[in-house]
Formats: sequence, C-alpha cells, structure tokens
Amino acid sequence: MTASLAPERTTAPLIPPSTHRYADVIHRLEAGGSMLPDTPENLKQIIGIYKAYAVPMDFYWRDLLYIAERVFLNPLPAFKYFISKEYLDLPNSYAGEQSKLRIWRGGEKAHPELLAFMERGETGRMPKLLHHLWHDRVNMEFAEACMQAMLWHQGMGGRFNDYLESDAYKANADRAIKAYFKGNPVMLGLYKLFPEMFLEQVRQLSYTANLGLFWEVMAPVFFEMSDIYDEGGFKGVPDAMDFLVNGIFAVAGRPIYHHVFIGGECFEIIPKGEGFTWLYEAALPYVEAVFYRTSPFRGTKSYNAQAHQVPDNQADFHYGILYADVYPVGSAGIPPTLLMQDMLHFLPPYLKEIYREHRRGEEDELVQLGITFQRSMYNVTSAVIQALRCALLYPLDDTDPEHLMANRRFFEAQMDRFLRPEARLSDIQSQDYR
Amino acid sequence: MATILETAASAGVFNTLLAAVDAAGLRGALEGPGPFTVFAPVDDAFAALPPGTVQTLVDNPPQLARILKYHVLAGAHSREALAGQSDWESLEGAPVPIRRAEPFEVKNATVVNADIVCDNGVVHVIDRVILPG
Amino acid sequence: MTLLLLLLIPLLAACGLQLLPVASPWVRRTAQAAALAQLATGLLAWRQPPADLSLSWLPKLGLRLDLGIDGLSLPLVLLAALITAMAVLATPLQQVRPRLFYGLLLATNLGLMGSFLARNALLFVLAYELILIPTTLLVAIWGGERRAGAAIRFLIYGAVSGIALLSAVLAFGWLNPGGVDFSFAALAHHALPPDQQRILLALVLLAFGLKLPVVPLHGWQPLTYSQAPTPVAMLLSGAVSKLGAYGLLRFGIGFLPDAWSDWSPWIAAIGAVSAIYGALNAIAQLDMRRLVAYSSLGHMGFLLLALAAATPLSLQGVMAQILAHGLIIALLFCLVGLVETKTGTAQIPELSGLLNAQRGLPFTMGLMLLALMAAAGVPGQAGFVAELLVFEGSWVAYPIPTLVCLLSSGFTAVYAVRLFNRVGFGRLDNATANWASTTWMERAPALVLTALVVVGGIWPTLLTGLSETATAPLALRSSDAVTVIASAAPLTSSPLPA
Repeated sequence: MTASLAPERTTAPLIPPSTHRYADVIHRLEAGGSMLPDTPENLKQIIGIYKAYAVPMDFYWRDLLYIAERVFLNPLPAFKYFISKEYLDLPNSYAGEQSKLRIWRGGEKAHPELLAFMERGETGRMPKLLHHLWHDRVNMEFAEACMQAMLWHQGMGGRFNDYLESDAYKANADRAIKAYFKGNPVMLGLYKLFPEMFLEQVRQLSYTANLGLFWEVMAPVFFEMSDIYDEGGFKGVPDAMDFLVNGIFAVAGRPIYHHVFIGGECFEIIPKGEGFTWLYEAALPYVEAVFYRTSPFRGTKSYNAQAHQVPDNQADFHYGILYADVYPVGSAGIPPTLLMQDMLHFLPPYLKEIYREHRRGEEDELVQLGITFQRSMYNVTSAVIQALRCALLYPLDDTDPEHLMANRRFFEAQMDRFLRPEARLSDIQSQDYR
Repeated sequence: MATILETAASAGVFNTLLAAVDAAGLRGALEGPGPFTVFAPVDDAFAALPPGTVQTLVDNPPQLARILKYHVLAGAHSREALAGQSDWESLEGAPVPIRRAEPFEVKNATVVNADIVCDNGVVHVIDRVILPG
Repeated sequence: MTLLLLLLIPLLAACGLQLLPVASPWVRRTAQAAALAQLATGLLAWRQPPADLSLSWLPKLGLRLDLGIDGLSLPLVLLAALITAMAVLATPLQQVRPRLFYGLLLATNLGLMGSFLARNALLFVLAYELILIPTTLLVAIWGGERRAGAAIRFLIYGAVSGIALLSAVLAFGWLNPGGVDFSFAALAHHALPPDQQRILLALVLLAFGLKLPVVPLHGWQPLTYSQAPTPVAMLLSGAVSKLGAYGLLRFGIGFLPDAWSDWSPWIAAIGAVSAIYGALNAIAQLDMRRLVAYSSLGHMGFLLLALAAATPLSLQGVMAQILAHGLIIALLFCLVGLVETKTGTAQIPELSGLLNAQRGLPFTMGLMLLALMAAAGVPGQAGFVAELLVFEGSWVAYPIPTLVCLLSSGFTAVYAVRLFNRVGFGRLDNATANWASTTWMERAPALVLTALVVVGGIWPTLLTGLSETATAPLALRSSDAVTVIASAAPLTSSPLPA
C-alpha cells in the first residue's frame, strides 16, 4: 500500500452500488475520498481550522502532561494551568531537529503565536494571575472535559482501561501516592480511609497523560498540513486525508505511558513496557469518546432520569462534534465552545476572509468557525475510518469482490452511526452549511 | 528440520520480520520448544505499511512485541486445523479470525504459502501485516 | 397660529408628497420631517400655550373652525405626533407605493389632530370620520394575507361608530336651548335633562366603545391589528384607539355627567369583562400580533374602569394609561413587526432561540423584554405607573371590578412570560436562522419608545404632569367616592400647567 489511497479503476465496478442512505458518501470513501466533499473551499476551511486548532493544542498537551506528571495529586491545584517553564519548553518528539520521527518541519518548542497570545491575550499585557482570573487565556477546561469524556466512557477499545483496574497498576499507584504525600499524615490518613478515592484520582491523571501524549502527536501533524497547504502541496481534500492516514500509521506504535516525577524521582505508574500504543489506547478511544459520544451538556439536556432526555445506553450518546448543533456556541456549560473561543484567536487570514464574507461577518465568526471545525473533524474521522480499513480490511483497489464487499460492509456500518437525526453528515455535503 | 526462525532466515524474504523479532527481544521465546503457529509477513508486507510505521515500532520494543505476538498462536496448527475454527486466540490476547478457507485468508492477509513445518511449530507465510482490532 | 400649524403640517406634507417622484428618498424624508415638525410644534404649544382659535366656516350648518388645546388634548397631541413619527421610522425603506402610504399616514394624523384640537362637536365628528378612510385603505392595500376581510370589517365597525357619534352630536346641538350650537363651550355649560342624557350617552358609548374597543364591540380589532402593516398597527393601537378614551372623557364625563354617574357601575363591569377577556384570549394566541392585539383589548378595559370610577385619581390614571399604553402598544407592535420582517414569521410555534447572541436578534429581544414587562405592569416602567393610578383611583368606587382588573393584570404577566420564553429562549434552528441582524435604523423607533417607557416609569410626571390640573375638575366622585359631584359646571378649557 502506497501513500495515496485513490485506486485507478478503468474497468467496470466489481460490486453493485450501495443502497444505504449515504450511498454517495460510501462510494466516495471506496474511491479513496473523505466523508467531506472534495471542493477547494472545503480544503481551505479545514486546513485553516487545523492550524487554528493546533496552536492551543500545543498548550493543551504540554499542560496535560504537566498536570499528570507534576501537579499529580495536589489537593488544591489552583495553579495547574500555570504551566512551568520546563513543560512549556518541553520539546515535541515529532517536531524540530531533535526528533527521531520528524513530522513537522518547524521547531520543537511552543508555537510562537501561542507564546504571543499567552503574553497579551485579548486584553493586553497584565500579570498572569489577572489574565487567568479574567479568563483571558487558553481554555484548558476544554482539554480536561475531553479527558473526562474518555475517563467516563472507559471501555472504548484497547487495553488501557483494563490495566487501570489491575493489581500492577494499583501497586504502582500506591507507591506513587505514598511518595507524594510523604510526611503528610492528614492525606495519608485519608488515603488509608478512602483508598479508592485516591486511586480514582490517579486513574483520572493517567487519562490526562494519555490525552497529552495523543495531542503531542496531533499538533505537529496539523502544523505540517498547514505548511504543505501554504505551499500548494494538497490538491484536494483526499490528499489532506491521506496525509492524516499516513500520520496515523506512522505514529501508531508510539508508547502510551504515565510517569510521575515526585521529589526528583520518576515513578512509572504505567510503564512503557506494558506495550500500550498510540493507536489502540489513545487515538481510537479518543475518537469514540470525544468525536462521537462525549456527554450531554448541562443546560441543554435534562439530567433527570424520568425525563428520558439522556439515552440509557452509553453507546447511544451523540454529543460529540460529529453530531453537534453549533449554534449554542458561547453558552455556559458547553466545553467544546471553549475550544471555538480558543481557535478564534489563531485563525489564518484566508479563513477570516471567508467568515467576513458570509452570514453575519465578524459578528458570528464563532458559529462559522464551529461549523468549519465540524467539517474538519469529519475529515479526521474519515482518515481514522480509512486507516482502520487499511489496517483491518482490504485495499481499495483489491480485485476480489468478496474483499470489496467486506470493505463495503465496514463502511456501511460506520455510516450507520450517522443515521440518527442529529448527525451532521448530510449537512456538511453542502457548502451552504455555515 | 530447522526452528521457525532458522527456516525464516534461510528463506531470505523475512529480513524485516527477523530484525523486528530481535528488536522486540522475542528471539529467545521463538527459539523455544513451543510449539507455535506463526503467520510470517514477507518483507514486502512491511514495506507496504505507510512510511515511519515500522520505524516507530522498532524504536519501541514493548509495542513492537505486541504486534509481533499477534502473529503467533499457541500450538502448531495446520491449515486444515485452522480452517476448522473461525477465531484463534493469539499470544497477544486478541483473536485472529480465519476469514476464508479457499483461498486461505487470515484476517485481511492471504496466506501465500501454508504449512511450512518446523521443529518448534508451523509457519504460514502471509502477504500483509495483520493488526489487532 | 400654532394650532393651525399643527393641522397644516400634515395636510401640506401629505399633498406635497404626491408631487415628488415615486422612487425619491425625499418622499420618506418629507414624511419624517413633517412628523418631527409636528412634534416640535406640539412641544412649542406646551411651552407657549396658544389661545383658542375660532374661525367661521359653514355658519349655516353650525360648523365653526374652533380649535383649542388644553390639559386633556395636549398630551394626546404630543402622543399622536410622536407615534406618527415612529410609524414613519418603522416603515421599511423599500415601501411599496410610498407616496400613497405616507400620504395616508399623514392624513390619519391630520384626522387625529383635528379631533384632539376641535372645540366644536361637529368639527370633532368631521375629523373623527376623516380618520376612517385612510386607515381602511392602509389596511386594505398593504396589509397581511387576510387584509380584505380585515379592512371591510374595520370599515363597517368604524362607519357604525361614526354614525352613532354623528347622531349624538347632532342631538347635542339641536337640544341646546339657546339654538343650534355645537361648540364645546355651549355643550358643557348646558345640562340636559337626565333621560335625554341617557339616550345621548348610549350613542356616545356605542361610538367610542367601538373605537377603543371594548367587549362586546371589539369584533374588528384582533383581525385588523394583526393584518395591518407594522406602522399602521402602531398608529391604530397607539393613537387612534386613544381617541375613544378621549371622546368618552370629553363627551361622556364632560357633557353627560348625570347619565354617566347613573350608568357607571355597568361601565365599570364592561371594563372588567373586557380586561379579563382580552388577557385570557392573549394567553391562547399563537400569532404574536394577535396576542398583542388582545393585550391591547385588555388594557382598554382598565381605561374604561378608571373612566367609570371618575375620581380625580382615576382620571389621572386615565391620562397616564392613555400615554403609557399608547407608547407600550406601539412599541410592542414595532418589535413584533421587526421580528416578523427579519425572520419571516410571526407565529410563535415557528420561533425560538431569538436571544442567541451570534445568530439571533438579541437587541430586539432585549427591548421586547422591557416592552413585555411594561405591558405586564412591572414597576420601573410606565405601565406600572398607569395601572397603579387606575387601580388606586377605581378601588374606592368599584372594588369588585378593580379586583377583576387586577387579576387580568396578573394574567398579562402570564402571556408576556410565555411569549418571551417561547420566542426568546430555547434552541435556534440552524437550518432556518439565516437572517441579517437589525440595523440601527430599524432599531430606532423601538429604542425611542423604550426609552420613553422606561423614563415614564421612573419619572411619572412625564405621564401625568400635563393633564393633572385638567382632569381634576372633571371628576364626578371625590377621592373617597363618598360624595358624587354632579354636573358642577365642568370646564371646557382648563389652564395648562406652566
């Protein structure tokens, strides 16, 4: 299998067309395309928003690791978003000259736009504490909400969650907890009384590390895509998707671990030796838990069980970006809208121009960019679907009809998830959806 | 007869696989009495993966070991025996499905050469790297 | 001179407009300028009260051009001028047949001014009838889907009202012992025998009851108000309906005090029924415009109650309610019209989430919140002041009807909240929310009216200051309703406050 997925088909198709409601999309996927239609504007929009997403992501992954590895079990972590210099300067393993697998041609340090924003924010130069209290900063709450979605949905595939319940993990965590609270009889006493509470906190921190390591990869992927687009290297949306697919495979084997640094010593709560991989333990659970499921947002759905507004079955949750109604952006209690606010600060000029010319111009940029983000995440999901197909099924240019039918069934099963009315798959097929 | 690894080495088309086995530290295990059933991807199968995939795995032995262990079953099973069951549990833990008997397909790979009997097991040559999930 | 000017401005502007080219922006500007000039003249009349004007016109008929302005008519003149100005502002920039439209608006205004300034009953009837045709045409030509039916119904009811009034006025004139004389001076000083008063009062009640309107004479109102275009609805509900209250005050309490005192228990009861009927119907409406129309009907019930009680405080309440309600209802129609223009619908089930800051109409909904609160009588806005005076003034005379009206006032909060909840809150539908945001030009009339409503609530003198001294002498009952002051030579022209 080469870098591009698009097959060259000059003969008649070997299998009959699909009769699924999304047959068009399925045929496009089978031809190597994405769920998002291939138009120049779509490409422009998604690349622009990838870049706008990657800049705050650069902060998210560093701070998530800071929280998981340093802040750890601090009972009053009021300053967990005040990232230390060491972690702000943490070199990205996939960017810069020092990386072994260099994805982004740029540097390994934090993106200059991010640093500029951390200096000034929207208001101006102020002490960091004032920026924090005024909420004129990168919204880390979104990252933590994603982490909580992954923690709460748990069994999204992979071995990670099972390991968190295992004795080995408990032993590791126990050592770390005792070391962290050494000399603190109150907390140690609490730990003796309520060991499960502390263990659960550590599990949460393990997911924090998981997400941080996941996003450490995605940020340089998106930066590189933006750079390639600026040079004209992408001919269309399928090219962008192929880049993502290749990226997914290239980093698939990256280890997922949780190391904590207490008093200068490194405690391996989840050692690399357990064999957890980026693809199975981070990326796929993330996509399932955050893109598809997430959790219902307070204020938009009643949590009253008798009201039956929230599905009984966790698998039926449909609050991820793929199903989102983007209009409530800015309302309280909806964490993804915090991401929209972050992305607003880093939009490339060509994207701002598109927003200025449509709908209400600068007034509803947040909604417009939210919808662009939705398109881009459909593209990422397409990349994940194609990558899964590539890993577990057959090439698109396979000549065996049974193989092609297996592919077809796989695509149809994926599309079945978008049959529910809240899915936005049919909306993104039109350019008018803004 | 030779062991599995010796057979592979002499075939000449399993260089990547052997390097991976060494990198993952599984040589000792695969030299043992076994018996094992090994689905061995040819070099072209590894080359067909997107660039960087193998390199990342080679840099991380535990993760590489997991992928390799997925290609190994406990016990020596011939093609006929394998075809009699739809799923076999790999050493990694995830099941390996047998999707077709004719042509013999293991997950999404086709077996190009089956039933190569060795001292400590049997090898089936496949044309793709199979992955759990 | 000021008085003539008040009449000449709309007349000349209406005629002059027809000479301009149809697509010229000067058409709208002339109409706007005329309305504002009239408002300025009204304010001038306040600062420098003009003397009464009396010109002979058709002496054989007894029709004299008697014009005068006093404490009762000044606030109404200002209200009519302001509402006309706001109606012109609320007219869409791309109006179909603009010259005719603005011309008819100004003709209506002329009729209103003539009615308020008239000191001669026949002149009053003339001006009163003058209003009928332009308003019917405004509804018939530019109205909603059911405009034909609405216009015909409006015309019929209005014609009956006009006939009743004409009959009453003619009878007034002929029954004058000193010879046929229609002037207010003559009508006021002469006290008719009670049985004659009752017949005349029946006609007067019919005429002005159709105008306000009150139940059961309200058949034309919900349909007409909901089918009329926004500026016309503002003018009709804000100014023209107040003519009914003015007429009852002048002709009923002023010229027929004995009959009025006799019948006032029934009048109070009708007021209470009207109030409850209007409020309950408003709760059931699914069309925003019909909801506002029924709300107006309910508030007219309060007016009738206060008129029936006729204590000094309740009559102050009448004037306050005339001004407050005129502003509030014009504001509500303006906002509802704005929502309908932007979103394309006035049906409540089709609207939701308009408060959305990004894609909705947050400014308009903010003003609508204030307007609905004012309509419900929430303290801090003009509606509260007016209702307080009405209820406090009427309680001493008619406690049961007052309680019923209080209940109705409670119901206004119900439909106000329901309307705002359904239309403002909730989810904005992604697929349909494709409208542009409101411009400052579109917001201007609503903004001005809201400001006045809020100021009126904080500074009540705005509502009652001009008319206090004029209404007190008209009272038929003292403040404690113990003594009934029968026809104690009510004045026609009261001194204007300084």
